[in-house]
Amino acid sequence: MESAIRLVQTWVASEREQEIDEIVTGISNNHWTLLDVVKALGEYLTSEDASLLQKVRVLVTFLCGKLEDSETLKPSLTGLLRLASLSSFSPAEATSTIEALFQHVRMKSVVQSIRFIVFSILDTLMASHRQALQSMGKSFIQGYVSLAEGEKDPRNLMVAFAIARVILIDFDISNHAEAMFDIIFCYFPITFRPPPNDPYGISTDDLRLKLRACLSATPSFGPFAIPVFLEKLAAGSRATKTDTLQTMGVCIPVYGSAIARAYSRKLWNSLKLEIFQPVDVQMEEEALKTTKILVQTIYSEEEAAMESDDDIQGLARDACEECMQILKEPEKSQARPATKILCTFMTTTPSICRFTISQAVPHLVRLFHSPDELTTRPSILLLLSEFIVAARDAQAQEGSEADISLLPHKDNVMAVFIIGLKSTNSRGAALIGLKALVLIKGLLSDEELGFIVHNLNEVVQEEPSEFDETSEDIIDLLNTISRISARHVAEQTLPTLFSTLPDVAPKLEQDSLRIQVRRTLSMLQELCVQAELFEILVIRLTTKLDLLCFPSDQVSQLDGDNEPTAAYAHSMLKVLSECLSTKSKNKDTDLVKYIERLVPLIFNLFIASAFMEKERPMAANNPRLLTVGGEIINLVVRSRQASYASILSKALSTGDVSAISHGPQKFASNLHIFSTSSSAAERNILRLFSSAIIGFYKDVPLELGPLNDFVMKLLAWTLDKADTDIQTLSALELVSSLVNKRTDEELSSLLEDESSTPLRDEIQNTSNLKERRSLAIKAWAKISKALLVRKHPLAMSYAQRLFDLSGDEQIGWDAARSIGDLVVSDPVLSKANHADIKILYSQKYVNEILPKLIESANESTSATQRTSSLVALASLIRSISRAAYMHNIKLLVPLLLRGLDLEDPSVKVDVIETLLAVAEGDSPERSLVAEHSTTLVKAMLRNSNVQSTPSLKVRIAALRYLAVLPSIVRYNVLHPERATVLRELAVVLDDPKRAVRKAAVEARTNW
Amino acid sequence: MPAEIFNPNPVVFSTVKRKLDVSAQSLWIDDVLLSEQESDDPEPIDQNEIFDLIRAIYDPEHPNTLEELRVVSAPQILIGKNRVKVEFTPTVPHCGMSTLIGAAPSSILTASIILTFLGLCIRVRLLRSLPERFKVDIFVKPGSHQSEHAVNKQLNDKERVAAALENPVLLETVEKCLSDAGNGII
Repeated sequence: MESAIRLVQTWVASEREQEIDEIVTGISNNHWTLLDVVKALGEYLTSEDASLLQKVRVLVTFLCGKLEDSETLKPSLTGLLRLASLSSFSPAEATSTIEALFQHVRMKSVVQSIRFIVFSILDTLMASHRQALQSMGKSFIQGYVSLAEGEKDPRNLMVAFAIARVILIDFDISNHAEAMFDIIFCYFPITFRPPPNDPYGISTDDLRLKLRACLSATPSFGPFAIPVFLEKLAAGSRATKTDTLQTMGVCIPVYGSAIARAYSRKLWNSLKLEIFQPVDVQMEEEALKTTKILVQTIYSEEEAAMESDDDIQGLARDACEECMQILKEPEKSQARPATKILCTFMTTTPSICRFTISQAVPHLVRLFHSPDELTTRPSILLLLSEFIVAARDAQAQEGSEADISLLPHKDNVMAVFIIGLKSTNSRGAALIGLKALVLIKGLLSDEELGFIVHNLNEVVQEEPSEFDETSEDIIDLLNTISRISARHVAEQTLPTLFSTLPDVAPKLEQDSLRIQVRRTLSMLQELCVQAELFEILVIRLTTKLDLLCFPSDQVSQLDGDNEPTAAYAHSMLKVLSECLSTKSKNKDTDLVKYIERLVPLIFNLFIASAFMEKERPMAANNPRLLTVGGEIINLVVRSRQASYASILSKALSTGDVSAISHGPQKFASNLHIFSTSSSAAERNILRLFSSAIIGFYKDVPLELGPLNDFVMKLLAWTLDKADTDIQTLSALELVSSLVNKRTDEELSSLLEDESSTPLRDEIQNTSNLKERRSLAIKAWAKISKALLVRKHPLAMSYAQRLFDLSGDEQIGWDAARSIGDLVVSDPVLSKANHADIKILYSQKYVNEILPKLIESANESTSATQRTSSLVALASLIRSISRAAYMHNIKLLVPLLLRGLDLEDPSVKVDVIETLLAVAEGDSPERSLVAEHSTTLVKAMLRNSNVQSTPSLKVRIAALRYLAVLPSIVRYNVLHPERATVLRELAVVLDDPKRAVRKAAVEARTNW
Repeated sequence: MPAEIFNPNPVVFSTVKRKLDVSAQSLWIDDVLLSEQESDDPEPIDQNEIFDLIRAIYDPEHPNTLEELRVVSAPQILIGKNRVKVEFTPTVPHCGMSTLIGAAPSSILTASIILTFLGLCIRVRLLRSLPERFKVDIFVKPGSHQSEHAVNKQLNDKERVAAALENPVLLETVEKCLSDAGNGII
C-alpha cells in the first residue's frame, strides 16, 4: 500500500510512464489493488487542477468498463462509489456511470453487499448530480425500475426507498407511475421482523416509515394505491390493519380530494367495518382518525364555497344519514360507534360540524321527549353528552373565534339535561353534558349558569340518600361553574349546605344525621377551594366551631361525654385543613391573609379551652383536634413568616399569648407550657406552636433564647414532664426541625460531641425504666435523622450509636427499627416545610450501614443482636430504592427468609413487603429468588393460613407474594410446588375475611 | 368460535357502581378504614362477592363483560351454606323462539353452543375461586332459551365439564374470556 502511494506521488510529480507500468505490474501481481491506487490518488483527484478532471474521467471509463467482468465487479463498484463523491466527478461521468450500471450489473445474480454498493452509488449521484439523471429521462426510470425490482434485503431497501422517494417527487414519472407503483407497492405492508440481536439495527418501523414516505410521495399513485389499501384492510392481521390505516391517513391528503371523493364509498364501507366491529380499541381509534382525514380531504377545499348545510353532499351526508339510522335505537351497542363517528365529523370542518349537529342533536332531543323512549332516556343522554363534549373539543381545537354551532340548539339541549338531572339513572350523563355545555366559551349566559346551579341545589337537597354515586360529578360541575362565576355557588349552594349543619353535634346514636353532616362537609371541602368561597367557609366554620366548643348552655355539656362534640368539631377543622392543603398545592396567593384571619382564631379556640379544662372537660382539648389545628397553622404559616416567626416564638418563650391569639374567647392568664405547674391540657398546646415553627423558613429570627438551651430544655421536658403522646411527639418534631434548619453555631454545644450529651447518658443508663430509654432512643433517632437529611458530618456517628444499641436486650428492637426509619421520608422534614434537604442524603448512610447489618445478622455472637439486625434490615430495605441494595441481594434473600420466622407480625409484613419490592422488575430469565422458591412457597403458605397466622395484614401480604411468584420464577422451577399451592390456597379461599379471600383468588388464579 | 356473530348488536347496560357502605358507627371521620380492617368479625361469602368473581368475565362474542350485557347479576345468585346457584340470561331475549324461527337448524345449535360455553366460563372461574365445600349449580334462566335443558344438563355434568377442559383449544378460549376476570373484585 505504502509503495503504491509513493509511486502515485512520484507519478504526479514526474508524469513518467515508468511509474504507471510499475503500478500496473503491482496490481497484476496482487501487491496492491486498484482500490488502493484510487485511494492514493484521492487528494489529487479532489484538487481543482483541470488535468485531474481528465484523470477522473479516465478512471471512471476504466472502472465502468470493468463492470462487465464479474471478477472485477466489486472492486470497480467500490472505486466508483468513492469517485462519485468527489467534486471533480462531472455530470457527464454521472450519466455514463449510471448507463454502465444499468447495462452491466445484473442485480439478481450478485450478493447483498454488492447490491448495496450499487444503491449507494445511485444515492450519492442522486444527491449531487440530480439534474444529470433527470435529463436522462425515460431511460433512467426504466433502468432504475429493472435494477431495483425484486430487492429483498432490508439494508438495501432503506436506501432504495430513499432513492424512490426522490424519483417520485423530482422526476417526471407521468408515463411510469404504474411501473414505479409496482416496484414499491409490492413491499406494502411491511412484514419484516428483525432477527434477534439484529446487528444492523433496522426495525420494522424504520422500514414502514421509509416506505410510507414513498407511498405518499406522489398523487399519481392514488388510483392504484387505494384498491390495494382496501384489500389489505379487509384481509390483514392486526398489525397490517394498523399499518394500512396509518398509511392511508398519510396518503389520502396527498392523493387529493378528487381521488378521495371517487373512492369515498368504498373507503367508507371498509373504515366503517373497523369502527363498528373493531378488533380492539386502538384499531377503532385509528379508523376514526383515518375517517377524519378522509372527510377533511374531501371537504376542506370547498369549505369556503359552502353556504348552507344543504350544500353538503356525498360521503359526509351519506355517512351521517347512515349513523342517524342507527341512532334511532340509542340503547343498542352500535349506537356508541355511530356516535363516535359523528363526533369525529364534528372535528373536521366547520360546515360539516354544523351539519352534523343540525342532524344529530335535534334528533336526540326529539327522541328524548318521545313517550315511547322513556326507558332509553339514560342512553339518549349519554349519546347527547358525547356530542356536546365533541362540540367543546372542536371549539378548543379551532380557537375561541370559531362560531358556536350549538347555539341554535342551546335551549333544547339544556332543557333535556335539566330533566335528566332529576332522575337517578340518567344523572351521570346529564352532568357530563352540562359540564361540557358550561365549558363551551360564549355559549351560556350568566343567568343560565345560575339556573344550572339552582337545579343542582335541588338535587343536593331533595335526594340526599340517592345522590351518592354522582355527588363527585355534581361537585365537579359546581367547581367548574364557580371558576367561571363564583357568585352563583356562593349565593345559592353554600347557604343551602351550611343550613344543613346543626349547631349541636349529632348524638352517638344519630347515625343518619352524622352521615348527612359528613356528606355536607365533604362537599364543602371540595367546593370551597376557590378564594371567594374559601373566605365564606372560614367565617362560617370558625363561628360554628366557637358555638360548638363554648356552648352558652353549660348544663347540656356537663351531663354527657363530650366525644360527639369533639368529633364534630374535628370534622369541621379537617375540612379547613384539607382545603388549605389543596390551596397550598395550587399555590393560591390568598393563603397569606389567613395568618391574620384564621390562625389567631385557632389559637384562641384551643388556648381558651385549655384554660377552662380546670373547671370542666372541654371538647377542643382532644389531641386529635389539636393535631388538625396544628395542620391548619402549619399550612398557613409556611407562606409568609419573618415577622410572625418572632412574634410566635416570643409567645412560646415568654408565655404571653396575647399577640398571637384573637377571638371571641377572653382569658387573662399567660400560658406557661414548660413551667412545672402547667396542666396537661396547657402542655398539649405545644402542638400548635411546634406545628407553626416546623413550617418556618430556616433563616427567620426565633426569639427562643439561646437555641442550645432551648433544645436541651425541650428534651429534658420530654423525658421528665411530658405525659401524653401528643406532647412528646410535638416536642420531638420541634427538636428535629430545629436541628435540621438552624446553624451549627446556634446548636454548638448540642452538636459538639455526640458522646457526651445528656441524652446519650439517658439511653445508656440501664437503671432507667424501659419506657424512658425507648423515648430517649426515639429522640436520638429524630436528631440523627435531622442531621442525616442535611448531610451533617455528625450524622454517621449518631447513626452508629443506634447500631451499637441494637444488641441491647431491653431496647434493641427500638434502636433497630429506627435504623430503617432514618431513610423514610418524614412529613416534618419536607421541602414544603422548608427543611434543609440535601440530595442523595441516604446513599452514603445506606452504603455504610447495610454491610454492617448483613454482617452482624450473619455473624454476631449475640442472638439478640442477630435478630435486631434482621429487624433493622427489613425496615431499612423497605424504605430504600432497589438500586441501593441490588448488589447485595444474594446475601439478603436468605436473611429475609430467616426474618419470616420471627414472631412479630409487623416485622413479617416488613419482610414480605421487602420481598415484593425485590420482585418488582424481576423476571423468570434472571430470577433472584428461584433457588429459594421452595422455601418461599412454604413460608408464604404458612403465613397465609388463618389458623397459623392471626394477623390479617401478614396473610394478605403473603398471598400477594404468592400471586407474583409465578411471574418472576420459571415455570419448571415452580412446577413441583403447584399442586401443594393450589390445594393449600383452596383452604385459604375460605378465610373469614373478605380482603384475604380476594388476595387468595388472585394468587390461585395466577398459579 | 362460530364465524358468524350470533347477536351483532346487543343492548349494553351501564354498570352500577356499588355503594361503599360508610360505617356510620364511627364518630371520627378518619376511623373508618381502621375499624373495618382489624375487627375480628368474620365476613361470610355473600352473593355480591360471588358476583364480583364473575362479573368481569368477557362475553365470547363481544368486547363487553357479562355484567355489561346483564348476562349475570347479583340477584340471580343464590347462596346457601355449602351451595351456590348461579342463573344466567342469554344476551338475546327469547332467542330460541322468535329470532330463530325459520333459521337453519345449525344456527340453533350454534346458539346453544355459545350458551354452554358461557356457562363453562362461569363454572371454571368459580371452580378456581370458591372454597371446595361449595357445590355450584349453573342454570340458564328458565324460559329464555329453546335448548335450556340440554345446556343445563351439560353444564352440571361433572364428567362433561372435565372432558371439555381437556380440549386445549376450548381451554384457551375460556382463559381468554377469563383474562380480566380479576377486575371485577373491588
